[in-house]
Amino acid sequence: MRKVVEGSHAVSEAVRLCRVQVISAYPITPQTHIVELLSEFCSEGSLKAKFLRVESEHSAMAALIGAASAGVRTFTATSSQGLALMHELLHWASGARLPIVMAEVNRALAPGWNIWTDQTDSLAQRDTGWIQLYCEDAQEALDTTIQAFRLAETVFLPVMVVLDAFFLSHTYEPVDIPEQADVDRFLPPFKPAFRLDTAHPAAFNQLSPPNVYMEMRRDLQDAMEAATGELKKIEADFQSFFGRRYGAVEAVQCDDADIILVTSGTITSTCRLVVEKLRAQGEKVGLLKMRLFRPFPREEIKQWVLRARKLAVVDRNFSFGASGIFAQEIRAALCNEPKRPLVFGYVAGLGGRDVTTDILEEIYWATKTKPYPESDSLWVGLQQPAPAA
Amino acid sequence: MAHAPMTPVSVPFIPRSTTTTESNKTGSWRFLQPRYDEKTAPCSVACPAGEDIARVEMLVAQGLFKEAWETILQENPFPGVCGRVCFHPCESVCNRGAFDEPIAIHTLERFVADTAMRYGLQPERTRPTPQSQRVAVVGAGPSGLAAAYFLARLGYGCDVFEGRSEPGGLLRWGIPPYRLPVPVLHWELEHLRTLGVDIRCNHKITTDVLHALKDRYAAVFLGCGHYKNVALGIPGEDLPGVEEGLPFLEKVRSGDWPSLSGTVAVIGGGNTAVDVSRCAVRLGAKVLMIYRRRRQDMPAFGHEIQMALDEGVELMELWAPQTITPHPEGFRLTLQKMEVVSEVNGRAQVRPIAGETTELVVQKIFKALGNSAEEPWLEPPGEAGSHILHLANTVVERRENSAVIVYGGDLAAQSKSVAHAIGSGKEAAMALDLYFRKGWDAIPDGVARCRVGPGPSLSMEVYMGGERCRRNPHVVAFQEINTDYFLYGPRIVQPRLLVEERLQGFSEIDLKVSAALAIREAERCFNCGVCNQCDNCWLYCPDIAVCRDATPQGRHINLDYCKGCGVCVVECPRNAMSLVENESGVLP
Repeated sequence: MRKVVEGSHAVSEAVRLCRVQVISAYPITPQTHIVELLSEFCSEGSLKAKFLRVESEHSAMAALIGAASAGVRTFTATSSQGLALMHELLHWASGARLPIVMAEVNRALAPGWNIWTDQTDSLAQRDTGWIQLYCEDAQEALDTTIQAFRLAETVFLPVMVVLDAFFLSHTYEPVDIPEQADVDRFLPPFKPAFRLDTAHPAAFNQLSPPNVYMEMRRDLQDAMEAATGELKKIEADFQSFFGRRYGAVEAVQCDDADIILVTSGTITSTCRLVVEKLRAQGEKVGLLKMRLFRPFPREEIKQWVLRARKLAVVDRNFSFGASGIFAQEIRAALCNEPKRPLVFGYVAGLGGRDVTTDILEEIYWATKTKPYPESDSLWVGLQQPAPAA
Repeated sequence: MAHAPMTPVSVPFIPRSTTTTESNKTGSWRFLQPRYDEKTAPCSVACPAGEDIARVEMLVAQGLFKEAWETILQENPFPGVCGRVCFHPCESVCNRGAFDEPIAIHTLERFVADTAMRYGLQPERTRPTPQSQRVAVVGAGPSGLAAAYFLARLGYGCDVFEGRSEPGGLLRWGIPPYRLPVPVLHWELEHLRTLGVDIRCNHKITTDVLHALKDRYAAVFLGCGHYKNVALGIPGEDLPGVEEGLPFLEKVRSGDWPSLSGTVAVIGGGNTAVDVSRCAVRLGAKVLMIYRRRRQDMPAFGHEIQMALDEGVELMELWAPQTITPHPEGFRLTLQKMEVVSEVNGRAQVRPIAGETTELVVQKIFKALGNSAEEPWLEPPGEAGSHILHLANTVVERRENSAVIVYGGDLAAQSKSVAHAIGSGKEAAMALDLYFRKGWDAIPDGVARCRVGPGPSLSMEVYMGGERCRRNPHVVAFQEINTDYFLYGPRIVQPRLLVEERLQGFSEIDLKVSAALAIREAERCFNCGVCNQCDNCWLYCPDIAVCRDATPQGRHINLDYCKGCGVCVVECPRNAMSLVENESGVLP
């Protein structure tokens, strides 16, 4: 059924279709619309889930860790400071191998107090053992949420479905909402490997001394590595049901490109227009959309970029003292390749500032005209002097 | 090292164990250990009869009225009487008073006793080992009856000799029916008789009789009370029609209600003066209560004074009677105005204001200045010595080749109250039992061991080796209560007859409360220092080291696993636990 829905509500619809059993969340802009609609589903009975109201995001995640340990399908959503507050328990969820799915709406971290989009909040959680998938539009947000449950429950890892604040979360788009019966066939009920069961008592996640800890960590990494392949299989299955697939990355006109623009989130949509325009002008430009960030899709990236001369990585995030995070990760992925493109890093659109077609074109021309990157990150569109200085 | 990744991920490798964690004896980390340590509630210290009030209220709150009644009976044979006439010093020290309002202990005591009376309950008690010694008790007032009660429970045969026609002393003859209906007294006396106490009335005591008793009994308890009126020492006090207070009350108590009219003057400020005034009001008189000091100096209980004033008694403070002369309409009473010179221990010292007098014409005068022993030989010896022991509320005297004499009740107690008289009887019973079984020198320590907190109140349950022995004498302070566990709640209001209804006759003023109200009131009680099995310790223990068991405490600490964190002690709402250092020399 095709419906015009808000990006947030596309996620809510997906959660309902996935027959989630326990939801626990604490409201925070710009995520609130997701759980708001879910609470309505729960109260009207269209979703038979326990909706736990809690006093913080930390408690929300703690509650889901408990629920997931008991073997049920769980969901939460958060943003920014809320995600930061959850940090400790993000490690716990992955270490305990609990397939919790979370919608994370990218919002800048304070101060300055800012509710607009910025990926630093989710990327700062890159080492917590959560799978991360970045969405471009509302349809993808819905589809990715459904896939996320299947992926999480296949490799026993939690999954973060990441959306841009407002550009995606609060924008209405036509969305194909799948039939419940199809989703039920695509996503069978969750079968936990272990669960808390008073009939079969066991201690979970107790002291693990040095003689076992390292193997446990490696097991988690194995699951992460398996996730890339599993996602591919799941997407193939998803496509057979629903006719859509997204891939770990998506390459647009990369086959013969000299310069490839690398984007994630909603900037990708803007960039598609820019590539089209530049191609019309005869430029050999391509676009690589990053959807999967953890596990980092090294091989998929290499498959598309090794032929190119230069990459222009647009980061709506920043790791202080280093560089934009996507650029950093891509550099690391390519560094041992004998023939590899130069990586130009650009930082743009922090705190929800618009990244327009003009800015992306400027990035392209800067990359083309400079023989080598002058620094790891070039900040695009900075006002000189700064507005308040 | 090569590592083959598992595909697909079927069983994640997580810390999981189906064996127990019992091998991890967390008790080895401990340097402090919690202990069930029941303590002493301030109310029980203040109670002259040493009642275990915190436990009584706990039982009432649980609806265990019979057990509550039996708990009172451990320390006091007369809960029905005391629930009506006691001045309840327990309530003024109640820790709940620092939170909102004290528990209505007095009202609850009466409720418990009335419930037992309503259902005709019999207390369950073990039969004591009979002792060979017999004790004579002289005077069937509250102290003598209490002495006989506690002696009987310790296995001694007791004969009580009473001069009047019925037992009870002041309870029977001095306290008006609107405070204490006779059937209540009768019912509680019946319990004494079932214990085997023989009460022989119309046995007036004389020196000859006393000598005879000394020969026939191993000990004699003298609890003859203070009946002799203190003289005013003014001209005209012996005129016919100037009556003494106690005989008047006795007349009212015997059902002979003289009709009074006009103005009646009652001289004095004690409970007898107040009772005489309130009876006189009921018999139709306008009453002036004349007292030489101020209202706050009156020995009478404050709430009784207030009720007298409510009923229309007029109080004339700082007036001392000077002369009484006949007058055609009755008497002319000349009063001298007094003034306060100083205060000693809060009580006014007064002197006359020269030339300031007034005259009243009254139809009747009652003298109620206070009383003393009827005969000088009933007064206890003043000086302590090798054969004389002064305890808190009794004096014990032994003589060569003669019975031990114990002076108790008003003759020896610190304060003239029913509760003190009961405490006196209890102290006498303990002293005599200690003397018979362990000898004279064992008395002081043996009695001191039974003190409730710092004393001087005593516990017969402790003396007899009951559960109360476990109580730590530490008196629980308000700061030691975890008030997070208590909600503010209003104190029950004692229902009473309206003033107009009271003045119709001698009906009991205080009315019954319902069981529902009593339970609600008892639930307000902090149960200071007494475990009410709330299970907070069990609930909060992070190591599951609190184990329920069948001991009287109901639970113990498994020291193999107790880390000594102290959470149980902090979360005990009523300070029934303590945290102490590991026992020295005992490694955890």
